[in-house]
Formats: sequence, C-alpha cells, structure tokens
Amino acid sequence: MDFLRDVLAFLANNLFNEVAILIGLIALVGLMLQKKPVEDVVAGTLRAVIGIYILLIGTDVFIGGLVAFQTIVSSAFGLEPPAATSTMADFLGAHGGTIALVITVAFLVHVLAVRLFNTRYVYLTGHQIFWISVIVTAAYVQMFGVLDQWALVLVCGLVVAAYLTLQPLYIAPMMRKVIGSDDWGYGHTSSAACYIAGKVGPAVGDREQDDTEKLQLPRQLSFFKDVNVSTALVIGIITLVAMAFADSAVLAEQAATYDPDINPWVWGIVSALRFAAGIAVLLFGVRMFLAEIVPAFKGISEKLIPGARPALDVPTVFPFAPTAVMLGFLASTVVFLVLMGVFAAAGWFVLVPPMIMLFFPGGGAGVFGNAFGGWKGAIVGGAVNGLFLAIGQALTWNMLSDTAPELATLADPDWYILAWLIMGVSAIFTGGDPAAMVWAATGVLMVVAAVWLWVLKRKGFEKPLEVQAEPAPAEAEAGR
Amino acid sequence: MTKGRAGEPLHVVTVCGVGMGSSLILRMTAEKAFAELGVPARVEATDVSSAKSLRPDVILGQGMHTSEFAGAAPVVLAVSNFVDAEALKRELEGPLREQGWLE
Repeated sequence: MDFLRDVLAFLANNLFNEVAILIGLIALVGLMLQKKPVEDVVAGTLRAVIGIYILLIGTDVFIGGLVAFQTIVSSAFGLEPPAATSTMADFLGAHGGTIALVITVAFLVHVLAVRLFNTRYVYLTGHQIFWISVIVTAAYVQMFGVLDQWALVLVCGLVVAAYLTLQPLYIAPMMRKVIGSDDWGYGHTSSAACYIAGKVGPAVGDREQDDTEKLQLPRQLSFFKDVNVSTALVIGIITLVAMAFADSAVLAEQAATYDPDINPWVWGIVSALRFAAGIAVLLFGVRMFLAEIVPAFKGISEKLIPGARPALDVPTVFPFAPTAVMLGFLASTVVFLVLMGVFAAAGWFVLVPPMIMLFFPGGGAGVFGNAFGGWKGAIVGGAVNGLFLAIGQALTWNMLSDTAPELATLADPDWYILAWLIMGVSAIFTGGDPAAMVWAATGVLMVVAAVWLWVLKRKGFEKPLEVQAEPAPAEAEAGR
Repeated sequence: MTKGRAGEPLHVVTVCGVGMGSSLILRMTAEKAFAELGVPARVEATDVSSAKSLRPDVILGQGMHTSEFAGAAPVVLAVSNFVDAEALKRELEGPLREQGWLE
C-alpha cells in the first residue's frame, strides 16, 4: 500500500499541481482525439505548455505595472494603494493545476448537461472558460481555505459548468434578434450588461429611428480597436497626470526599486508601457494554449451532440453594428473614468481602467442596446458596463485579497456576479467543517441553477424567434 | 513560388481584437472552407497588432478590422458569419481565382 500511496503522492505533487504539464496532457489528449498527425500532436502539445509559461511571465509583468499605477494614482489622491496578501501570480502558482482540471471537468459536465437537458448551446469561448474557472476557484479558496484538491475541482467544475450551460441559454432570445438568425449563440461573460442593455433599450430609444449604423463616428477613434494601443495610451496619460499631483518621495522610492538611476517621470511612462505589455504577453500565452485545446472541445461537442449550436465570443456580434461597438465602448469608458475620479476623491478605492473590458463587453452591450433601442440603447448599454466594471472592481478587489485580487481588474460583469454569488452563498456556511460546508454551499448554487434552467425551459427558449427583416451585417464599406 | 492548389500552402491569418476568441472559431471555419475548396492552407488565429507583421497571403476578419488591413495581404476579406463555411467558400472563390491560387 505504501507504494500506491507514494505513486499517488508523486502524481499529486508533480502532475496535478503542475499547471503546464496538466495543460500539456489535456492538449495531447485533445490533439490525439482529433487524429492529428504525430508532428502536429508534438508541436501542439509543446505550444500549449509554452503558452502557460508565457501566461505566467506576462502575469508578473502585468502585476508590476499594476502596482506602479495604483501607487502613483493613490498617492495623487493621498490614499493608500489597494492592499492584498496574495497576488494572482502566487495564486496561479499554487492552484494552476486545480484550474486546469476545473476547465476539463467543467467542459465535460457542460457538454453532458447540454445533451441531457437539450439546451442547444455549447460554450466554445475558451478564454472565458479559463478565466471563469480561475475566478470561481479563487472565490472558493478565499471562502473555504485549503480543501482537498479533488473536492475543489468538483465543486468549481459544477459551478462553471452550470454557468457555461445557462449563460448562452438565458440570453438566446435576445441574441437571435441581434444576429437575425440562430446560427450561433452568445458565449461571453459580458452577458449581464448585454441583457440589461436589451431590456432598457426599448425604454430609451427605437431601433428603427435611431439605428447606430446611420451615424458616422470620427475615423480617429478607430485606433482604440487595437486594445494594446488604447491600454498603453489611457494608462500612460492617467499615470502622467497623477504624477503631477503625487508625493515625489513615494515616486522616487518606487522608481528606485525599478532602477536607481531612472528619472521618476520616465519610470512612470515605462511602468504604463510595461502594464500594457504585460497584458499583451499574458493574453498571448492564453491564446497559445487555447488554440490547441478549443478545437478539441469543438470536436468533442460535435461528436456528442449533433445539431448543437456553438456559443461564441462577443466580437461575433460586432459586424451587426460596428458603430454601436464604438458608442458602447466610449460610454463605458466615460462612465468608468468619471467613477474613477469620484471613488478616489471620496477616498473609497483607486480604480485601474481595464481597457480590454471596457472595449469588448462595452461594445457587446452597445450592440445589444442598439438592437433594442438604437444609439440611445447603445449608450445606455455601454454605461451599464462601465458601472459594472467600476463598482465590481472596487468591491471585488478586497473580496479576493487573499487569493488573486488582480482578477478584479481583469473582470467582465459576469465574473463579478459569479464571485459575489459564490461568496454570498458560502458566507452562510462558514461555521462548520469546510470540507462539508463547501458541498452545502455548492448544493444551494446547484439548486438555484436547476430552478433557473427549469424556468428557462418552461418559457420555451428553443422556440425559434420569428426573425424579422434580416439585419444585414453593416460592413459594406469594409475594405475587400 | 507557386502557391495554392498548384503548390505551397497559403498562409491564412484570421484576426480578432485579441486573437483568441472569435478568430480561433474563424480559423476552424476557414480550415474547413479551404479544405473543401481543395486549396492547401496553413491557418493561424491572431490579434490586430501582430497580423500586420505576418505578411500573410490571406487575411480574414470582421469588417471593423479588415478595413485597416488594405494592402497588408493580397487577399483581405471581411467575414460576418464566423461559423458558416459554405458562405466563406463562396466569398473566397473569386479572390483566390484572381490570384491564381484556384483554377
């Protein structure tokens, strides 16, 4: 028996705790299931593993830039920068293996649920499966501390699977109106903002009269579509303005830790650029391992559920109203920056503008808002996203301060809702033995999910919505 | 160097904002479309920033992005449905013929 225990301990420490090796294995199995040639299997597996290390390196650079930004802006307002006992880098190091397993378990349970409950939409937005797994795991670890790894994998896997199943489903009737067909569903963590935009839209405007695509926005705005550029620019400008008001001793001290000889102003610019570079590197890593795994997910779901529709990432709705994307993004950004000033002036929290989350969910909410309320709906949708991101970041940073607080600066609306839901329900069950309580909390969440599924099915989501005049994709002007 | 049906696989790049969500889905759709057209192609999903430096033969993406890629590749095509391989096939046929990559 000792031998068996040694083997299990070896596996637990060297396989299930090593995120890169686990992801490599998942990619390997996925590529073999697709019957790829040997050279593709080897290359793909290595790319996935390297992607994980790139992600970890990017996370370090990003956190460095983030801390500098928070320190500078906090000092300008005479506040203490947001505190935490752990960083996302620590968290991914300690729990990365768990997260890799959560992704796998969650996707398989999700496919089973789609098949079993006949819910049509298979979630194929890989990076959101990854991020939702990260934040759900962080929320559980924050509430219950160290748990048995497999128990943690199972509870997180169930919650993530429930989300992957329900999210495309509840927004499906709106999505069909937005894209004018049922070719694919909406699989993105901006769904809460999009849903509110779609509901509020008709109250503020009218699609027929106020369609965003009749408007012409200045071409100069188009560089914002490159999120690397907009992140560097916005973070850089705010950094420079804040430095003018910040305590020079704080600046000098921070700059010296980077390079003893550097001018503090130059260090401020360098920090902003490193922040943008860190996010770009981090996302490049995520992209690298997803490119090897998502096709396998797609293949598995097509084999197991014939006739299923893919639920896809937010940019798949952008061609239906590109101007609404820009309006939603601008409204999000304005609301966020105003709240950034208000929160800091009130001494509550120093927000970090998350340009990617202002662009994509803001743009998505803009498209949904436009589909139901024209340009006014698009602006309201973007504004709702800005509210979500500002309030969400301010609240959630401290809620996750012992695990991965930086997630609060990378989050979309649904991430916050999921974290709040898990942590709110778990707060009821903090008394007893965590190993039992974690299941009680998850049980409650599963009951909520089941009831919601039952309600959605009763409302008849699968009835094809009568599609009116096909909204022609507005891209006639696009260069061919 | 002869390309397309005649020889070397085409270098096709699918583009989206960050290069990991919709461009990856479009990559799979494009792989199917090129396979059915019988044109050998190596398809890669990437983001807006890096697409310009790749000098590919074909760039696929939504109009919002492709409008900025004029001249970055011999064939730049705006796609609005990321899962419809049939429609993509029809749209690709003309431009690929023009380049002599498809008889």
